[in-house]
Amino acid sequence: MTRIFALPDVGEGLTEAEILRWHVAPGDTVTLNQIIVEIETAKAAVELPSPFEGVVSELLAEPGATVAVGSPLIAIDTGDADLEPAAAGVIGEEGPGGRITTLVGYGPRTATMTRRPRKPTPAVPAAEDRGSVPLAKPPVRKLAKELGIDLSTVLGSGTGGVITREDVRHAAAAVPAGNGAGSVAPAAPEAGQRREPVRGVRKATAAAVVSSAFTAPHVTMFLTADVTPMMQLRARLAQQPEFRDVKLTPLTFAARALCLAVRRTPEVNASWDETTGEIVYFDYVHLGIAAATPRGLVVPKIRNAERVPLRELAVALEELAAAARDGRTAPGDMLGGTITITNIGVFGIDTGTPILNPGESAILALGAIRERPWVVGGAVVPRQVCQLALSVDHRVVDGQQGSRFLTDIGALLSDPALALTF
Amino acid sequence: MTPQTITLAKGLNHGLRAAMEHDPKVIVMGEDVGKLGGVFRITDGLQKDFGEQRVLDTPLGESGIIGTAVGLALRGYRPVCEIQFDGFVFPAFDQIVTQLARFHYRSQGKLRMPVVVRVPYGGGIGAVEHHSESPESYFAHTPGLKVVSCANAVDAYWMIQQAIACDDPVIFFEPKRRYWEKASLDVAVAPPPLLRSRLVRPGGPAAVATVVAYGPMVRTVLDAAAVAEQDGTQLEVIDLRTLSPLDLAPVFDSVRRTGRLICVSEAPGEASLIGDLAARVSQECFYSLEAPVLRVTGFDTPYPPAKCEEDYLPDLDRILDAVDQVLRY
Repeated sequence: MTRIFALPDVGEGLTEAEILRWHVAPGDTVTLNQIIVEIETAKAAVELPSPFEGVVSELLAEPGATVAVGSPLIAIDTGDADLEPAAAGVIGEEGPGGRITTLVGYGPRTATMTRRPRKPTPAVPAAEDRGSVPLAKPPVRKLAKELGIDLSTVLGSGTGGVITREDVRHAAAAVPAGNGAGSVAPAAPEAGQRREPVRGVRKATAAAVVSSAFTAPHVTMFLTADVTPMMQLRARLAQQPEFRDVKLTPLTFAARALCLAVRRTPEVNASWDETTGEIVYFDYVHLGIAAATPRGLVVPKIRNAERVPLRELAVALEELAAAARDGRTAPGDMLGGTITITNIGVFGIDTGTPILNPGESAILALGAIRERPWVVGGAVVPRQVCQLALSVDHRVVDGQQGSRFLTDIGALLSDPALALTF
Repeated sequence: MTPQTITLAKGLNHGLRAAMEHDPKVIVMGEDVGKLGGVFRITDGLQKDFGEQRVLDTPLGESGIIGTAVGLALRGYRPVCEIQFDGFVFPAFDQIVTQLARFHYRSQGKLRMPVVVRVPYGGGIGAVEHHSESPESYFAHTPGLKVVSCANAVDAYWMIQQAIACDDPVIFFEPKRRYWEKASLDVAVAPPPLLRSRLVRPGGPAAVATVVAYGPMVRTVLDAAAVAEQDGTQLEVIDLRTLSPLDLAPVFDSVRRTGRLICVSEAPGEASLIGDLAARVSQECFYSLEAPVLRVTGFDTPYPPAKCEEDYLPDLDRILDAVDQVLRY
């Protein structure tokens, strides 16, 4: 086939060259790299070698002519039947070989990359020698710190003795049970009595309420609210497609109202830090939900509850309750709360004086919702009424702030539209 | 104005044109930028329209190009210098590091250096020695310089204008093998600021790793993320855009959600800017890290001959291998 040799850019960025002298004529046989022409560029006079072997069929530029880079110079019959087209593309366009033609280099490939067969994954990287530092990745260290677990006492079950989250959780679950059984021998039960060792959740609850009740001066305030509008809203929402699969309880509304009310009274979402002599105010609401379980009282948390919309809140509450019932609540999920809500109404109770979760400054008790006579516009009508009780740590929260917080919650449940103003 | 589909090269060309129209003090200078319009045609047509006084073909001497630009900047001009290829920036390194980067500091803030040094960089075009290098870490290491890299046509159009408008010297790295990749540019949409990195592929709650890249590697990483998604692995991708100063808030935010970080760069990994990035993420996101921060980089050798470059450049497979690796911890 006849191949065309076009004027290359022999110095970077040249646009043209002048033909000085041809060293070959039509009919001549040329070898690879034989000098065929002399040209003069803006930079220098240069001799060009032939890129092909064959017989010259035609000279395509006269001596003395100025030729642009890329223009054909010479046609050489290479005698082969190669069907590959002459390689002279337009700069910036796709040229031969799936590459974009460039002035310098072969040009970038245009084809998209494909994946080679995946390498077999080598074994988990072996952990380095166990020095004096326990082997655990940072989030596991954090978890251990939160649960008060000393990692050097934990045996790692991961490859190479690495401590996993599960190892830390197991260690945390073992602590209360292990500590209780102590030096004192259990007393023998008398007739008509039953003695049970205090352990597990019972023991934790006891420690928590004692520490809270006798360190934080509790003040409890009460508010009776007409929650009929909230119950009507609940009925309306239940018709909405997006709430169809959600169990929308009064507790959900109370939790949402609490989160909104915290914005106006951030003092209730705070912690008294005895050791540093400071009050810690939280920007986030880690909402504890007191849940009765077969094993006792647990208070799992909904993290950043202030950012959770009503529907997701309902879902989270449902999951939380299910996990607590099944005893699946992880120890870590019970720590780090900032405020708590307890739904004593489910037991048919009107109200109570809740004890603060240790380290928190407010706890809201939601009483049972009952139909009661209520005065509306001078007339006594049956309305859905509920009692709210709020206990606060008086070291952190004064009566005025506590009252505002409680009346805000009451107002939001009596008139949910007020949420627009919060 | 309707959005137009343009190449990264055209984005730069239009951006330069807009900057020159906007400010008569903007001067374009470099080797073959005038009559030829640059070897990559980035300055195509500018000399014809703005004249030889504003679009200058300089002698082949990079040190002189930058030295001249420093003088012009002192006289109130805003020079935009083209270094024809990454490997040619080294003769200018002295002028950039000892003069350009220091005038503002040396003059106690009295003198500004609004100079842009455009450097087409990186490999993948099958070129000869000195034409495929990634020297960005040298400049990111130097106080007094801003270092940025665009990765797509839209950023190219806006970032070159923002760099020219910046009163500090900006080393502007252009991913040369992406020059011909196209994107839809709508000039009516306001651009993000120059010195911000950007989440270019959110991974949502299912994201298990963050991949950070810049310049030519952004495309490669996005391709890798698309393949990973088919494997059921969601990746978040961040385009750094600014290499000095680094804008790491989006990286921290992402790593705190995904727990894993892979940094990708064409440059050799030893003492590179992504190594510094890795250190800062380890410091800021320590308790979030489920795995060590991995780097996928070029090798610690000179850039190889064109025929071997595809083995040198980080590709889809090396990125996905790193993803496999961080997920094993």
